[in-house]
Amino acid sequence: METLGVTVNGEHVESLIDPKTTLQNFLHDTLGLIGTKEGCGSGMCGCCTVLVDGKAVKSCLILALQVRGKTVLTIEGLAQGETLDPLQTAFIENGALQCGYCTPGMVMSGKALLEENPNPSEQEIRQALSGNLCRCTGYDKIVKAVLSASEK
Amino acid sequence: MKAKEKYDHIGKSIHNVNAKAKVTGRAKYCSDMEFPGMLYGKAKRSPYAHARIISIDTSKAESLPGVKTVIVGGEETCPFRYGAGVGDEFVLAREKALFVGDPVAAVAAESEEIAQEAVDLIEVEYEELPAVFDGDEAFKRNPPAILHENLKSYQTLRSVPPRFDEKRPNVFNYFRIRRNNAESAFKEADLVFENRFETAMIHHVQMESHCGIASVDDTGRLVVWGTSSKPYGMHRDIAESRGLPLSAVRVIIPTHVGGSFGGRDSKAEQIAASLALAQKGYPKRPVKVKFTREEHLSTTTTRAHYIVDIKTGVKKDGTIMANEMRLLLVGGAYAGTGYLTARNAAFGPAANYKIPNFSLDAYGVYTNQRMAGAFRGFGNAESLWGMESQMDIIAEALDIDPLKLRLKNCIDEGDLNAFGETMHSVGAKECLHAAAEAIEWGKKTEGKAPHLKRGKGIALGNKYSIVPSASAAIIKVHPDGLVELRTSTVDLGQGSSTIFSQMIAEQFKIPISKVRVLNPDTDITPFDLGTASSRSTFNMGNAIIKACRDAKKQLFELAAKELEAAENDLETADSKVFVKGSPERGIHIKDLFIPMVIGGYTLKEGAEIIGKATYYLPGVMPDPETGASEKPAAFYMFVAQTAEVEVDTQTGKIRVLKMATANDCGKAINPMMVEGQQDGGVLSMGIGSTLLEEVITDNGVMLNPQLADYKIPTTLDCPDLDDYKSIIIETAHRDGPWGAKGVGESTMVSTAPAIANALYDAIGIRFYDIPITPEKVLRAIKGKF
Repeated sequence: METLGVTVNGEHVESLIDPKTTLQNFLHDTLGLIGTKEGCGSGMCGCCTVLVDGKAVKSCLILALQVRGKTVLTIEGLAQGETLDPLQTAFIENGALQCGYCTPGMVMSGKALLEENPNPSEQEIRQALSGNLCRCTGYDKIVKAVLSASEK
Repeated sequence: MKAKEKYDHIGKSIHNVNAKAKVTGRAKYCSDMEFPGMLYGKAKRSPYAHARIISIDTSKAESLPGVKTVIVGGEETCPFRYGAGVGDEFVLAREKALFVGDPVAAVAAESEEIAQEAVDLIEVEYEELPAVFDGDEAFKRNPPAILHENLKSYQTLRSVPPRFDEKRPNVFNYFRIRRNNAESAFKEADLVFENRFETAMIHHVQMESHCGIASVDDTGRLVVWGTSSKPYGMHRDIAESRGLPLSAVRVIIPTHVGGSFGGRDSKAEQIAASLALAQKGYPKRPVKVKFTREEHLSTTTTRAHYIVDIKTGVKKDGTIMANEMRLLLVGGAYAGTGYLTARNAAFGPAANYKIPNFSLDAYGVYTNQRMAGAFRGFGNAESLWGMESQMDIIAEALDIDPLKLRLKNCIDEGDLNAFGETMHSVGAKECLHAAAEAIEWGKKTEGKAPHLKRGKGIALGNKYSIVPSASAAIIKVHPDGLVELRTSTVDLGQGSSTIFSQMIAEQFKIPISKVRVLNPDTDITPFDLGTASSRSTFNMGNAIIKACRDAKKQLFELAAKELEAAENDLETADSKVFVKGSPERGIHIKDLFIPMVIGGYTLKEGAEIIGKATYYLPGVMPDPETGASEKPAAFYMFVAQTAEVEVDTQTGKIRVLKMATANDCGKAINPMMVEGQQDGGVLSMGIGSTLLEEVITDNGVMLNPQLADYKIPTTLDCPDLDDYKSIIIETAHRDGPWGAKGVGESTMVSTAPAIANALYDAIGIRFYDIPITPEKVLRAIKGKF
């Protein structure tokens, strides 16, 4: 077992973990942050996307110990209390979600893009989200949501 | 001019009532659920496509530390076979394994890792048997392998019985239509076209894998959580496969399920149930079985490989005289919902066009592959792939514009379909016109280089909804005015909870925030046939309206005494009951209840305000010889789609430049959600099934069981925002709630032919099989350009 110290959603956490634990397992199972979904466990679907020091990362592809001392933002940390992030509001208003299983990862990838490029073109949005699979929406309303959030 | 709509909630693009939970990560799915002391279950799966199980040695697995229970197929685990229409399946295979991945044993252990290790320690001795994968081979009178030697002795469903074929031992269902005389009509036709079309096996790829959790409570009762789209179907299967009374099983589906698209018939719940029950003594610990992505893609239900033979006779002016089809669903080792898919794939071709002479034979046949069953469109994307490709072949031969040929023949209000049913609520023509206009039909555009060839295509489709059908709803009015719906419709992402909330808010004239929809729970929510066949808005919607009326009647009875008014003169809004036209003569719902000493509120009689209703639609079973029926379906949704594609003749790559879909849903209760269904059907599953997706197998082993190899569309495979049009056509149905029919399943039934017809327009090559991959395109155009 190893000690992991990391800042998650603005809060410092210390935890004793099995070194084999992935970041996705750590967030979802140890911390109970169930918004970080497991879709494939092998980095192909993007459901488990979180931000590590501001960059979008597929949390099933790295070990929890690799984020020691870093800052992790999950979907649960995006809203300020009950005040949603403009991107979350844009997803709701544009109907950019259906089953919702890909939504946390999709929002986090969109967030990473907007942090880096506040006014992306449609093509830039499509590129940034191309590693996040969604089976319900055909992406149309998701792309619209990110575009509309970028205009705010 | 349309009358101005007078609704507060119906027809409005209200936000999904579950959206906030979903965008904040709070939404809890079955795969997120944990219970104290929970064990993790894993299945041991057959490596052979067809093999006799000689022996299973579980001793090493049982002695591994952390292993609690190991089970194998047999009387104790699974005494009875079960299935949607043909009882052909055990929870764990007994005697024979019938496909690669067929579960033969299972383990419950302290962790997933230990469970997997134990599974690997189980030793199974098999005797490999000849297997059959090819549909035509399996269909033969003397097939290379017979999967179910005792098929005729199996239990079958009484309400829609399967029909076996005396001479063809692998056929698990046969359905036929004979309308007038196709054979003689072909002789009178000017031209006859005969072709074979096929569709590859594909997977639903729901983003949440299948998951089941089972627990045995302190009375010995089995409680199962799962990802099923049919709580009562699963309830029946779990009870009947164990010989338990229905009341000894409780099935709960969480509020959130990560997609279905028809493909939620999984064994995760069944295996979890067996592992929970098999533990010796008490307490029995809860067991969770969540399939890995690879298990999900390689062992769970698919859309079948389909073989569609079609023969069409036409007059020179384009009038269709006769149509003859053979539909072959190349099914799996167990029929599953495929028994019904095999039959109902006939409905799309039967209702697309006015065809006076129509002959059709539809079969489902066992092969040594995993179950193939329901998939958005329920066989009709496959049968219409044939019919709508054929239409363009005819159009070209007769030199008639493909749009005009469809407009000339398409079915209309009052026409008879191939069942002899009089059609009602038919938006085919409006859909065709709208989809054509959206893509500037008839206007040719050019690629930026000579090797980039462009073309446009169109296709028409329809999707029926199932009968016999029943949905029940319970409406509870709480003392604080909140109206609660108890329904067994599963919100799989399609938004049923939102649609139902709108209906209830409209009925009670309250804000959406005063409505609550409970998650399916067979202890609490009443019967529903299942969240399938685009049936929820129509069937459950009608049940909800009736249940609301029942609840309001009870409110009015109570309030009538208080207000000294006649019940018929009362109405309700904003959690008050008042005399129509005199809101000041009213009473708040809470004041109809009596606050009680110690606490709570009561009524003097009747316990609670509970409205309840069933919407039952028996339909008329088609005649077994001719298919004739005046009511074989609840309703028909129509759709027309157009595509513009660009083919790179150097690489074979196809880009869908533009796409338009026009769907006749009767009435859009929530236009944004109807669009959402259309978008997903066309852009994800439609484009995916046409250009990308195929379960590739070798001797029954899936070769691409990861999302890196089984490709579904990404953001980059879909047309740009400005190049995609999602159009709603509203042809009200007389029996639909506010005229509504449905939408989910109609959305991809014409996508493949629209794209393939565009491809033909671009490069003059007809493709008969989907997916149309760059490799196929390159092979076909070799030397042509």
